[in-house]
Amino acid sequence: MAKRVVITGVGVVSALGHLFEQIIRNLKAGDVFFERSVFDEAVVVCPIQNFNIRDITGRNKNIKYLNRGAQFAVASAVMALKHAGFTNSMSQTAGLFIGQGPNLDMDGEFPEIKIGSVDWEPHSALWILKFLPNTAASVIAAMTGIHGENLTVGTACSASLQAIGEGYRKIKDGYLDVALCGGGDSRLSKGGITAYKKAHALCTDNISPCEASRPFDDKRNGFVPGEGGACFVLESLEQALERHAEIYGEICGFGASMDGYNMTAPEPDGKWAEKAVRGALKEAGISTDQVDAVSSHGTGTLLNDQMEAELIQRLYGDHCPHVIAVKSWIGHLASACGSIELAVCLAALRHKYFPEIRNLNHPCSEQVNFVRTGQSVELNTMVIENFGFGGQNSVLVVKKWTG
Amino acid sequence: MVDTFTNIQEILSEILDIEPDEVSEDTYVIRDLGAESIDLLELAVALNTAFKSGLKSEIIDDEIFLRFLREYMTEADQAGKEHAGYLKEKYPFFSETRIDEMLSDLSSGPVLKVSDLIDYIHSRSIAV
Repeated sequence: MAKRVVITGVGVVSALGHLFEQIIRNLKAGDVFFERSVFDEAVVVCPIQNFNIRDITGRNKNIKYLNRGAQFAVASAVMALKHAGFTNSMSQTAGLFIGQGPNLDMDGEFPEIKIGSVDWEPHSALWILKFLPNTAASVIAAMTGIHGENLTVGTACSASLQAIGEGYRKIKDGYLDVALCGGGDSRLSKGGITAYKKAHALCTDNISPCEASRPFDDKRNGFVPGEGGACFVLESLEQALERHAEIYGEICGFGASMDGYNMTAPEPDGKWAEKAVRGALKEAGISTDQVDAVSSHGTGTLLNDQMEAELIQRLYGDHCPHVIAVKSWIGHLASACGSIELAVCLAALRHKYFPEIRNLNHPCSEQVNFVRTGQSVELNTMVIENFGFGGQNSVLVVKKWTG
Repeated sequence: MVDTFTNIQEILSEILDIEPDEVSEDTYVIRDLGAESIDLLELAVALNTAFKSGLKSEIIDDEIFLRFLREYMTEADQAGKEHAGYLKEKYPFFSETRIDEMLSDLSSGPVLKVSDLIDYIHSRSIAV
């Protein structure tokens, strides 16, 4: 019989803070931390100031092998296990599912590249580890004593949500009792900024940094890169109750699909994105009218938001749930966006507060119930959507834990 | 110019993510600091980079990390030679006193000390 899967530990490193209370406080106060990139004045970013992984993990010789995105994954993983009250011996049989993206810090890693030639001498013996996607998982396992089934997911901006979905299924289907799931990412380096700017994916409008991220607004013009990480301890309800763990939410369904259409643009009709949403709802055993809120992918790009607004209209019709867009608050965390967005959703469900979509002055759709001002409302069931480069779609259904 | 010890101290503290004052000339690299093979790999690369310009030839990690110490002792046994004398032939950069010390210390674990790294590097440096 399928097992119920609950969240018993949360670790977050975000521009909105580490804890649910802090996140909600910043959302209510409207505090955001956008600024111009030091590498390119035309680009706005949302960095995490004064991050030092050792403040969270302590000193560890393997930290030198972590790129900045992997550091966020490791830091939040360590926090999540601690939050769940897990010791290293308890973690032994846990699984590990981490979403990771590429290290795009070309200038930082290879400062001496000239005419195709690299000065390799200053590089450490194992510099390659900063480029291998599973280094984060390997360091997390070494730090926390996890030895179970694991997977590093590299499905672009849907990666960490997919990692959570995979971990959820392993527990639901009885392969694991516990899984640590999530991700971390940072693409604010010169290489990262240049890559997305060249792809015409970033907002380069000459406006105030705080106004650059504007999902679903008629004047949206690209996304704003952010950074950070979030990890969750997923546990079978049975085990969580047995050890009297505090429960922060229940994962009820997961869906994934691929567009098979374009390397960067979403399939405009959202046909395959819809398949992912319907798959997740089916697994959760709920219909569209039972969805209270949608945490949209909402990047602020012309194509994603158009496709997604139409998808929401089509799926929910007149019973449109509340729609939020976390990227308007912290930017787009690439492969880690889904994990941070789950953290914000859990905070919103628990504290009964749903933040407005910032900078949404002229909504691209009148039928979608975009949250325009912060709302204190008690909701129970949320759908989280992420649609990544390459046509990667993942969707998670999460419910408030009511005991 | 930074002296050899300070240089090694900085390199070790960076590779092992420890405070520099945890490293003295008398510190055992493996026994005290817990350096593993992956760390020695990094150490060899870092030492070669740091000292390259002052060395007659590249640092050989098998030599500097005493990788074949126990094999050499077996070889000495097979050839009916004294351990100390045979090791002095293999490791001419160590004093006889240091080799005797190593032999009496072997049962407590890997004998490599920070001072051994310094002796090895000095033996290879152009100035000597």
